[in-house]
Amino acid sequence: MTRIACLLMTNDLPAHAALLQVALAHSPRVEDAGAGCLYLDASGLQSLFGDDGRLAERLRAAAAAAGVAIRVGVAASRLGALAAARLGSGVAVVEPGGDAASLAAAPLSLLTLSEPLAIRLSRWGLRTLGELAALPTAGLFERAGAEGVQAQRLARGEDPRPLASWRPVPAFEETVECEWGLETLEPVVERLSELAARVCGRLGARGLAADGFEWVCRLAGGRAHEGGLTPAVPLTEAAAVTGLLRLALEARPPRGIVEGLTLRARPTRAAPAQESLTDPSRPSPRFLAATMNRLVALVGSDRIGAPALLDSHRPDAVGLGAYASPSPLRGEGRVRGSRVRGAAPVLALRRLRPPAPAAVTLASGRPVAMRSSRLAGRIVAGVGPWRSSGEWWTTQPWLQDEWDVELADGTLCRLAHDGSAWHIAGVYD
Amino acid sequence: MGIPIESSPPPGWEREGIDGLLGLFPPGRLSEIVGPRSSGASSLLLALIARITTSGSSNWGGSSNGGQVAFVDGMDALDPASAAAAGADLSALLWVRCGGRLRVALSAADLLARCPGFALVVLDLDDLGPVPVSTCIRLQRAVEGTDTILIVRRERHREGTPASLVLATRRLAPQWMGLRPLTRLAGLRSEISICRSRLHSSLSPLGRGQGEGLQGEGLQGEGLQGQGIWTLDWTLSQ
Repeated sequence: MTRIACLLMTNDLPAHAALLQVALAHSPRVEDAGAGCLYLDASGLQSLFGDDGRLAERLRAAAAAAGVAIRVGVAASRLGALAAARLGSGVAVVEPGGDAASLAAAPLSLLTLSEPLAIRLSRWGLRTLGELAALPTAGLFERAGAEGVQAQRLARGEDPRPLASWRPVPAFEETVECEWGLETLEPVVERLSELAARVCGRLGARGLAADGFEWVCRLAGGRAHEGGLTPAVPLTEAAAVTGLLRLALEARPPRGIVEGLTLRARPTRAAPAQESLTDPSRPSPRFLAATMNRLVALVGSDRIGAPALLDSHRPDAVGLGAYASPSPLRGEGRVRGSRVRGAAPVLALRRLRPPAPAAVTLASGRPVAMRSSRLAGRIVAGVGPWRSSGEWWTTQPWLQDEWDVELADGTLCRLAHDGSAWHIAGVYD
Repeated sequence: MGIPIESSPPPGWEREGIDGLLGLFPPGRLSEIVGPRSSGASSLLLALIARITTSGSSNWGGSSNGGQVAFVDGMDALDPASAAAAGADLSALLWVRCGGRLRVALSAADLLARCPGFALVVLDLDDLGPVPVSTCIRLQRAVEGTDTILIVRRERHREGTPASLVLATRRLAPQWMGLRPLTRLAGLRSEISICRSRLHSSLSPLGRGQGEGLQGEGLQGEGLQGQGIWTLDWTLSQ
């Protein structure tokens, strides 16, 4: 005989964790329904705590001792227990077989319905669960489909779905106390390497990876040295994590004697993917993460990534996105360029960043000569202007006249005039 | 019935055209593309990047999934719009902008050449400055024994570099649309020749291990047409 207790909080939500502890102290199967509501499996607890009424009183007293005010309802179904808790006066017990009768007067709003079904039931004039339960099932199915029948079963006190047990989120954190203070970086990295091996072992055992690491070095004198790193790809390999930790600590070493270390990982689920024998090789996450970190230190984080075309007609509207971890699954739906096999090869433009200012000589409105720090010469052929403008509705409008010109030495370049000055936008190559 | 060892290229693939040219770049070796401004060198690079990011190989026998490309941009000159127009998969392209710093560009290329898994590593220096031969040897050693194609693009070829393949590009003529007055730039015709090839001796104009000292101006001679010289029309994408 299934018995379910509903614990409904009446005070602030921050006490939710404390309520979970209270529930877990009485039953191993607890479902977290969110918003201050828990269900626990009360079946078979009579031998431990007495009948349902005593169990409910005990739960309420334990919650009060933990600083949480709750109402408790016990019934054979979740909806019955919820209605008993919500409509009762603190502790309410529905006797076995009495769920349908106890729910008959409860409002329809106790059910979690889709908006169309809720509107439809309202138009039918239904206000209580009893009225819904009394409808003919076949007719309800014809008009409201499976969702309507499901709602009716709940209104009749039937609860076919078992409780979804709540499990605590595991903490991937390891700590080591250094009996002798560590004064140099190398032993600190060694200790962190041991912690990384333990954390990665636990992650791997659960089929998880980590997309972030944080460490805390407790220094002599009560101070702390904290830091974190975000690898380019989720990692589970301790050697790769150790390499990244070493780089990060070398860049910002702890200033003092280290007396204790803590390493914390932020878990994420790494999607498993089958490697293909025919696909080209990809950079291993371990090597790629270390290389990316070194490159960021070399050129800066704002100068490395995957190029991205911005949704703008502004000249040279490009950005740098994160260079994502290549995955065997990435071939699906990825964005590729427009060239197809057999099409004519495309002439590339080499951008000058920033555009090089130029002094341009005009004759009859057409450029005939130009001079700049990068290029200079007589213009032997040119076409233009190609006029474009945009974003006039923003605070940074742009306007540009572009010319494609050929210099006497054969160089093909793109000249641009932004309304006030000439500059060389790029060279065709 | 026997199965031919050499499979046929897919439809639309030109063995003698640009597709055959792109297939010359040897994995695990250092290659160079040299040529002056507006000679089609960058267009050749983008065509190779497009090939690798979409088919995974510089040959026509690649897979349906693309390879990863690292582009070390010494002068911040890469135009992603041109790369996309050439057919490159931008998400498979790692762009490292070095802001005109030669030493940074060389260090970045060295790091990427030592990161296994990239199908192509490009070091685009243009006229950024001379690269020490010892650095070229170091880069060559970094990719030896791997499947990575390493390409250095610069204006002039220097003697003594360990490059296994040196391609020289030369502009022939711009292609304009319309009679006088001209209406728009349609493209560029350029010539690409093999300056040095230590792997394709039949294509090397002067034989195996020779050809040094050619200063990036390509080779002349009617007898080499179709054996080591390609004439390509690059089309301007609008």
